[in-house]
Amino acid sequence: MKRALVTGATHGLGRALAALLVERGYAVVAVDRVAGAGRAGVTDLVCDLADRDAVDRMLPGLIEAGPFDLAFFNAGVSATGRFEEIPAAAYRRLLTVNAETPMVMAAALMKAGAVRGGLCFVSSLSHFTGYPGAAAYAASKDALAVYARSVRKPFARRGVSVTLACPGPLKTEHAARHAPDGADETMRLEPAMAARVILDAAISGRRLVVPGRRARLVALAGRLRPQAVTRWMRRLVFERLGRAVW
Amino acid sequence: MTRRAPATHQAQAEPGLRPPGMADRVLITGATSGIGLALANRLSQRGRLLLTGRSPDEAVRSVLPADAAYARADQSAPEAAVAEIEAALARLGWDGLDLAVLNAGIGFVGDPADEPAARLRATLDANLVAAVLISRALYPRLAFGRGRLVLVGSTARRGAADFAGYAASKAGLHGLARALAEEWRGRVAVKIVHPGPTATAMHAKAGHDPGRFARLFASPETMAMLIERAAGSARPATTVSFARFAWRRAPKPR
Repeated sequence: MKRALVTGATHGLGRALAALLVERGYAVVAVDRVAGAGRAGVTDLVCDLADRDAVDRMLPGLIEAGPFDLAFFNAGVSATGRFEEIPAAAYRRLLTVNAETPMVMAAALMKAGAVRGGLCFVSSLSHFTGYPGAAAYAASKDALAVYARSVRKPFARRGVSVTLACPGPLKTEHAARHAPDGADETMRLEPAMAARVILDAAISGRRLVVPGRRARLVALAGRLRPQAVTRWMRRLVFERLGRAVW
Repeated sequence: MTRRAPATHQAQAEPGLRPPGMADRVLITGATSGIGLALANRLSQRGRLLLTGRSPDEAVRSVLPADAAYARADQSAPEAAVAEIEAALARLGWDGLDLAVLNAGIGFVGDPADEPAARLRATLDANLVAAVLISRALYPRLAFGRGRLVLVGSTARRGAADFAGYAASKAGLHGLARALAEEWRGRVAVKIVHPGPTATAMHAKAGHDPGRFARLFASPETMAMLIERAAGSARPATTVSFARFAWRRAPKPR
């Protein structure tokens, strides 16, 4: 039976990925801070991915549960508001969950030979734009995206493909929590739809996947006119943010 | 931008304001060697300096500009480094800051499939987490002084197979700068400069031998000159690649 790993699989995109993987016949190992309530075909590994010691304690068991045909590093948290008003501890947590832990986990799995197919790092559409109002989040997602780009060739030499996924806003609790007041929910993509596109890209070992036509347009605009798109993001997000949320 | 407003009017309204180009109170992190030290030497001629590094004071005092203040702030523990910097600023009585150059950084070379967790964590802590937390802590002083925040990135920020963690950390700085430049526009000018290969001790510390290409590297003095020049430009990001420094040479310090 094929095996897959999904981090942050209790909510949002990770939950949709886990469900889709089960549907396609994978045995799924889900790593998250809380277990998803009894899902058939899913084994929960409970771990706070912001806690270094907890991650180090979890890794041997995870390697034992492999080798994985697919691994999705999807877990992420955000912090939105004025940069200087968000507590330092929230930034530390965010940078660990979003950037450090996926890198540490990927390196440990590769070293142990516990991946035999493809890795997929879930970054963000913000990789293609500036993201005023979520500067540390943008930093973490840029770091993860460039880690994915950097390891693509060295991991390919070991027979493992690396896919970088940069989804835009999704219809998830996460997005609703961090979106500015009055944001247009119809602009957000269904997580199940994004999961399908990302899974297909990871299976075929594609270098980059940006699910949704609207997100692809933003990515293109961000590449062509980075400053103009960043200013647009300021009006769209930063100037409409209410209180800080982390 | 506020800096372009008539200086006389602004000087009355904002006691912390200095005319453009007169970087008066300057913080440089990682200033005990390489590009940071070269920058400190350049800027010591026209401002008061607070320099940081991870070495004890007595070990670096002889190489630093004579009248510069020094604080030991080891960024492998970012929260502690922030506390050291804030304490040093308070000791100096600087309620405003005109320029902060976050230059400190470390890197390791190696196969990313064999990279120990401790190295990835150390790289991200020193290069990215510390920069995020220091930027956050400096905000009130930078805003008060209508100051300028300059992050030192790297041309590796687009990706590098042998320095995956380092490249990631520098890409993170790029994302931070892009967002903050827009968020703080009109309050604090934010800028990232990505230096290309520079002849510093970092390559040896990182376990990297550039071989004969080392001859082509910029000297730290040349790179410091180009970073200082780029820091004054209006664009949020500047790459000082080989093509930009190949024909430029700054004089070596006497």
